[in-house]
Amino acid sequence: MSPDLATCLPLLIAGAATLGLAVAMSPARVSRRTLLARGGTGLAGLIAIAAAPSLDLLVLSLLVLAVLHAALPGKRDFASRLQMPVVAVVLVAVALLFVRVQGPEMLQRFAAVGLAAGLAACVGLLPYIHVLEPEDTAVVSPTVWIGFVGPVAATAILIRVRGLLSPDAGTDLGAILIGLGLVNMLWGTLAAWRAEDSTRAWHYSFMADWGLALCGFGLTVADGQAAALLILVSIVFGRLPLYLASRQALRENQSADRPINLMVAAVLAGSAPFAGFAARVLLLRGATQMYWPLALVLVAGMLLWLPVSLRLGRTLGQPRGRQALGVGIVIAANAVVGLYPLPLLALGGR
Amino acid sequence: MPSLAVLAPIVIPLVAAAVITAFGLARVDLGRIACAFGAWGSVAALLVVWLSVRSTQQLHLGPLGFGSSLLLRIDAVGFAFGLIVTVPAAVLLSLQPRTWQEATVAIVGVAAAVTAVEAGGVVLTALAGGTAATLAVVQLDTEDVKAPRPSWGVLLGAWLALSWAGVIFEVGAGTDGFSAVPVASLTVPVFALIAVAALGASGLFPWRSWPSQLWSRPSLRAAGMSVATLYPLGFYLLVREYEFGDGRYPQPALNVVLAGLGVAVALGAAIRAQGAANRREFLGEVIPGFGGFALMTIALGTPLGLVAGLLSLATAGALTACLALLPDRSGLPSLVAIAAAVGLPPGLAFGARVLGLESTFEAGNSIGLIGLAGAATWVVWVAAAARAVGLPAGRGHAVAETFPRIALAIAAATIVAGPALAAFQSSFADPAQGEVMTGSAAGSVAGGLVTVETVSTVLPALTLFIPLVAMAVLVYAFAATAPVRGQARPALFTMPGRETSARLWAAIRAARLPEQYRSVVDLRAIEPAAAGGHAVLWLAALAALVFAVTR
Amino acid sequence: MVTPCSGSQPWPPSFSRSPASGLLIAAVAAFFAWFGVSIIVLADGRRGLAVGLAVSAAGLAAIAWQDGDGVAALIVLGGGAAAAVLRYRAGPGGWMLMPPGSTARLILCVAGGLVGLWFAASVTIGPDVATRFAVLSVIGMSGARIVSSREPSSVVTAVATLALATAVATHLGAGSAGLAPYVAAALIAAGALLVPVRVANVP
Repeated sequence: MSPDLATCLPLLIAGAATLGLAVAMSPARVSRRTLLARGGTGLAGLIAIAAAPSLDLLVLSLLVLAVLHAALPGKRDFASRLQMPVVAVVLVAVALLFVRVQGPEMLQRFAAVGLAAGLAACVGLLPYIHVLEPEDTAVVSPTVWIGFVGPVAATAILIRVRGLLSPDAGTDLGAILIGLGLVNMLWGTLAAWRAEDSTRAWHYSFMADWGLALCGFGLTVADGQAAALLILVSIVFGRLPLYLASRQALRENQSADRPINLMVAAVLAGSAPFAGFAARVLLLRGATQMYWPLALVLVAGMLLWLPVSLRLGRTLGQPRGRQALGVGIVIAANAVVGLYPLPLLALGGR
Repeated sequence: MPSLAVLAPIVIPLVAAAVITAFGLARVDLGRIACAFGAWGSVAALLVVWLSVRSTQQLHLGPLGFGSSLLLRIDAVGFAFGLIVTVPAAVLLSLQPRTWQEATVAIVGVAAAVTAVEAGGVVLTALAGGTAATLAVVQLDTEDVKAPRPSWGVLLGAWLALSWAGVIFEVGAGTDGFSAVPVASLTVPVFALIAVAALGASGLFPWRSWPSQLWSRPSLRAAGMSVATLYPLGFYLLVREYEFGDGRYPQPALNVVLAGLGVAVALGAAIRAQGAANRREFLGEVIPGFGGFALMTIALGTPLGLVAGLLSLATAGALTACLALLPDRSGLPSLVAIAAAVGLPPGLAFGARVLGLESTFEAGNSIGLIGLAGAATWVVWVAAAARAVGLPAGRGHAVAETFPRIALAIAAATIVAGPALAAFQSSFADPAQGEVMTGSAAGSVAGGLVTVETVSTVLPALTLFIPLVAMAVLVYAFAATAPVRGQARPALFTMPGRETSARLWAAIRAARLPEQYRSVVDLRAIEPAAAGGHAVLWLAALAALVFAVTR
Repeated sequence: MVTPCSGSQPWPPSFSRSPASGLLIAAVAAFFAWFGVSIIVLADGRRGLAVGLAVSAAGLAAIAWQDGDGVAALIVLGGGAAAAVLRYRAGPGGWMLMPPGSTARLILCVAGGLVGLWFAASVTIGPDVATRFAVLSVIGMSGARIVSSREPSSVVTAVATLALATAVATHLGAGSAGLAPYVAAALIAAGALLVPVRVANVP
């Protein structure tokens, strides 16, 4: 197995598990076959992205996924749903061009800008937020990019650019990622807290988690990379399935304050003993090694997760039957990963 | 003793939780039996593991993946705090009825708290302590979502701060093990970080915080468990800081600051207690009062102070169980509980406070003034207790969860056990003190099972306190057998400026940005602009990034 | 190809040519690539889009041929031709070239060409000027077309062009990328036009 594919393996496994949970937890009115077909296509696209031997094929795989996703029936038209992923493809393609050609050193730095911006556009982070229609189904919404495709795509892109950029450009890329990460952390938490619509609140909470992941990617030490991987896994097999489980309650405007809602809030807040806490510890390690004031900022930012998470935990309503089982599985898995993340990190080559 | 035995105090409650859950899912409620088994099993395991060898037992199970190893150990400090956490929890879990879900969360919380005191490194302690905090909040909210509970943000922040301190140790010193971190690594900023974590974890503030707010809940099942498992953990961190510093804190000024804060905590609790509207409010300030005295003495940096602090904490642990089982009505149980809480002679609380004040005077310099303040605080407590006897009882609790006779027995036991102060000190507190203060700290504590010998004096606990117990029993026997009835008296004093500060606080909370500036920070207005898919924003962001890299 | 004549030398089948003619061919190919994508930017009808796609694909194929990869060029040409045929058969009727309000698009085409030229010839150095120009202008302009348009036909056509240009850009990297990117791009180009695009559920 190529090292690049190995790094994405935990995310692929998490994605497959989330797809399985989504199919199992889906309400009766949703066709499981359709869900499985669409999800399977997405998963196949993820595997193609992770296994792509070069960035060019990765970009082309992204383009395929973008077209297929935009073609799904939804509230917004095909062209507007295709916009942001294409912006991502263009930015990454142009950045690759800048990396490959001979020219002034500044081109490498512009390439770093293009890669970071392209990554943000692919995932749907500030300032390249994908437009969200709360009435859209989850499969059609930008949540697919931020919670399912984005983690694998971002990891795959950042692994492959490692050897391409010059040292200065690499430093610039790291700094840009950290800057974008802090901005998204702040925006994600505040917007999720203040958003009137709970679906939007969920979407912004993904952005907040991505903020942490970007900070991890930007810290070029091993602990930062490991933290990013853990955070992305907690997004794919934590936040995303919990969001899917809350969809029905969101539509029916239900909320609840039962133990399971509080446990979900704890998972979402990155509280011990869940995966988010271990990721935060690793992130603090990385930040302390590189530049300790960043750790101070991160600790302060991490406290903003709580009010958001309590709000989102309530939106889960009272899950029953398979949904409750699915939520229980997600909570348990996050606890296991949070207490003992070593196997997962080893699987990802960290 | 095989090193795997170190796992027993943690695994036994977890097994009990698994059994409770399995039976609960099958709709069979095991009641308090499984809880009692799990909790008392943890206590028994602690006793067996420690008493069989009386030296540190350690188990190292390899790296966990976030920079720390699964290193567990039971030394004297872990043993002492383990008992402080598990014994009151075991009493409450054995007696108070709970649903199987509540029981599971509660007993897993006990396991987490035990893991926190058994953890061999700072980061693992933070992980376990954070878990205990999370589970306590879940317990409290499950029981009654509207009743007061600790601020989850403060608890999370405290354990995050501790994990950051652990990470600093790992990066700077290569390890975060309590016994392995070099002394030079405990700088003032890192110490401050751990101290802030400790204060936040235990709610050690001069103002009313969760250790007193929880006692005003309609039900005290979750409140008792939360105080029993969480409250001691902050003190545990402060004690371990001596181990980092080879028996001392990095700067003497830190001792003074923390000790002063301890007095402030105790005084704050005393002031609130003397102004309490009912007896439950008074009793709600007891644990913070004990915590303040414990903080004051632990922070002194002397062996005697540390010993006194540990004895205070042990007594507080016992009273936690007592208060959670005490019904809100007049009677002998309330009276004896008040007497035990306020530190009437010859109780353990009395002995611990005497030793604590003694330690402040022995430490000398400005710390002596802190001791004077501590003594004055104790006087306020006594006055508050006298007033509390005549107060109305409180809102009352469900009969099924109160056990007045058990509460009476616990309170009485802490009073009657006063003569055994020396025995407690030498068997319980001294080994812990010796574990963390191996360097040349000023003063020493000696004595045996009968006396406590300090630098300047000898306290003949056994021979002095036994006659006091006898006298107390005779006085009660010859006095009227009817329960003591007092009359409600007004508060001794009100804090000056209290109304002003309350108004100021209310004004701050009600503060709003002036209308004309709201649009600048109106997130709901900014949101459509940011999330509306505007190409101008994308180009502007790109331009900004390009500009940034060209600088 | 051998031309019977008396006493003259046949044109060698290896197609060897002088550097000057190679540069000229590359420049023409790059111009065709830019011109093709400009038509895609300016046209809304299926005829215009199909022609633009075909011209752009031909230009990009010629670029790939010039870069020494004949098979890749054929793949690009084949994919682009298939996509053009599919586009010709479905979409808004007619040419609809430069409909009212196209000034901004025209400016985009000119500016895109100028910026591409400046980048390829002035900012960067080394051979493959034409490749750099063609790739940058096609990627940039097709991306701009996708972002600014709401009409699915033009968007999908631009996607096809974007894919082909991305594949051709692999030549600029060190080492050989193989045929995989070209095959993928050709499949994307043709496949994108086969994806059923539904109208949004607008209330």
